[in-house]
Amino acid sequence: MSERLRRLHRARPRSRFVRASAAVGGLCTAYVWCSGAVEAGDFLSARRRENLVRFLTEDSVPFPLRGEGFDLAGAWSWAGEVLGGRGLQAAVATVAIATVAIALAGVLSGCLAPLAAATVATERPVEPAAGGGRPAWRALRLIVRAGMIVMRSIPEYVLAFLLLAVLGPNHAWPAVLALALHNGAILGRLGAEAVENLEPGPLRSLRGLGASRRSILAAGVFPLALGNYLLYFFYRFETCVREATVLGMLGVVSLGFYIQDARAKLYYDEMLLLIGLGSVIVLAADWVSSRARRYLRSGV
Amino acid sequence: MSAETLAARPSPLSRRGRLLLGLLLAAAAAWATLGLAPSDALPGEAGRGILRLFLEGALSPALTYEGSDVPADAPPLLARVAGALWRTVVFAVAGLSLSLVIGVVLGFLGARSWWEDDERECAVRARARAPVRRVLAAVHLSVRVTIALMRSVHELLWAVLLLAALGLTSFSAVIAIAIPYGGTLAKVFSEMLDECPRDTVRSLRAIGARGVSVFAWGLLPRAMGDMSAYAFYRFECAVRSSAILGFFGYPTIGYYLRLSAENVHYREVWTYLYALLALVGLLELWSSRLRRRVVMR
Repeated sequence: MSERLRRLHRARPRSRFVRASAAVGGLCTAYVWCSGAVEAGDFLSARRRENLVRFLTEDSVPFPLRGEGFDLAGAWSWAGEVLGGRGLQAAVATVAIATVAIALAGVLSGCLAPLAAATVATERPVEPAAGGGRPAWRALRLIVRAGMIVMRSIPEYVLAFLLLAVLGPNHAWPAVLALALHNGAILGRLGAEAVENLEPGPLRSLRGLGASRRSILAAGVFPLALGNYLLYFFYRFETCVREATVLGMLGVVSLGFYIQDARAKLYYDEMLLLIGLGSVIVLAADWVSSRARRYLRSGV
Repeated sequence: MSAETLAARPSPLSRRGRLLLGLLLAAAAAWATLGLAPSDALPGEAGRGILRLFLEGALSPALTYEGSDVPADAPPLLARVAGALWRTVVFAVAGLSLSLVIGVVLGFLGARSWWEDDERECAVRARARAPVRRVLAAVHLSVRVTIALMRSVHELLWAVLLLAALGLTSFSAVIAIAIPYGGTLAKVFSEMLDECPRDTVRSLRAIGARGVSVFAWGLLPRAMGDMSAYAFYRFECAVRSSAILGFFGYPTIGYYLRLSAENVHYREVWTYLYALLALVGLLELWSSRLRRRVVMR
């Protein structure tokens, strides 16, 4: 019995690559923590502790509650004023930026996905031999895919920072475009995979009926791939809201703008309140996107 | 599926149609709220000049400093790029390793299959008495709430918070990454554990295994491949997050990128961008090779 177990154990699937990756990961982690590249000890120094205590017991306490004048009603009206005024306005702007951005990303990825899918972007679409194609088609797919890799590798924050220099700070476009480009590239890749994984039967019968590439796309590819694509789409919406919050710190008027503003004035109580508001928005977006995905799957 | 069930269900197209229509209306309302003018999406006179400079920089990234006001003791540009890239990786590795610990602990505690004892699950709660069960249910709920709260605040906002609380120290950057990433890993890990196939669990229970051992030998090995592939993907994200933490003064690549951009040294900006792109591209290649080997289909 134990001999058989040992044999089974020896015959288990193994991969050198996976083991080497795990070893590299482990070594890097050990090095990072042991070499002093991260000053974990500094965290406990007296100065840091003092700073932390002051932050927790003074700076982050709503100012009407500080010291002698413990004024609960004052704190309440202060919170209402911050949240109801610029808080609400910025929250609406944040969600609006995310919504426009994800809609534009959807359009962009709808254009890119078919161009990157090997089964469609070729001279004989959806036919069994599809996939290779003439060099021109291959080059097209390669360029589209490379462009998408570049766009999704640059963080949204950097994109928005660069766009801000080009487009100017008086409107929401830098944030909207940064989110739309980044997410459009991610959704384009996922969409291309959804297209490539489609059941070939229905598409081939369209082709057999003499449909052109455009009619195959309109009547077959888009309707069939839409289900899976929308699941990714709503997942990315949640991420968009998260990112839209912080893009404000660059100067676009979303929640991050007021967080940065409060931080610059050292109003840490207000900063905490606004960060809390951001957290609520993100949780709400999370809920909306998971509801939308459940609705798609099961209709509730 | 029989004919009745098909007829009883509304067609999936109408569900999608309704969602798409709602989305379109929401986007239109959002567009109006923001007061976006299409003409503003294109650069103006000054913007075009900057754009031209920027795009020219893409073709000839800087190999030495562009400006003339470089301090004498500054390292060569490429050494600075390499150092920044290295520190970006260091923060990402430290942050992710910490968040893996958080993610595994909270991910197990947040998984339904760790607690519940109906037929298909491996139960920790199974043998407890009623009042204890209620306490355990409360623990489960509070773990899930904690996960949601950690996740809902962006890593940059955690960084801003920790900067205020601790000041500029590399450890605060690491925690700023570790908290939201820990929450995300915990959420995804617990979903993977709850959704992985139950066949091994069932056979282990049939031969008498109970409790944690079913979880450890029946469930965990089935979910392990997906979990490690996802963790590696998050490392790629952590590198990007670590890079932008530089915008807040940490010495990662974002710090130098911002400095160069503010000095309108766009050729240097491209050097940093190309370095970041190469790093992320390499990790993506690695991650996709790893995924092919560990994810069970």
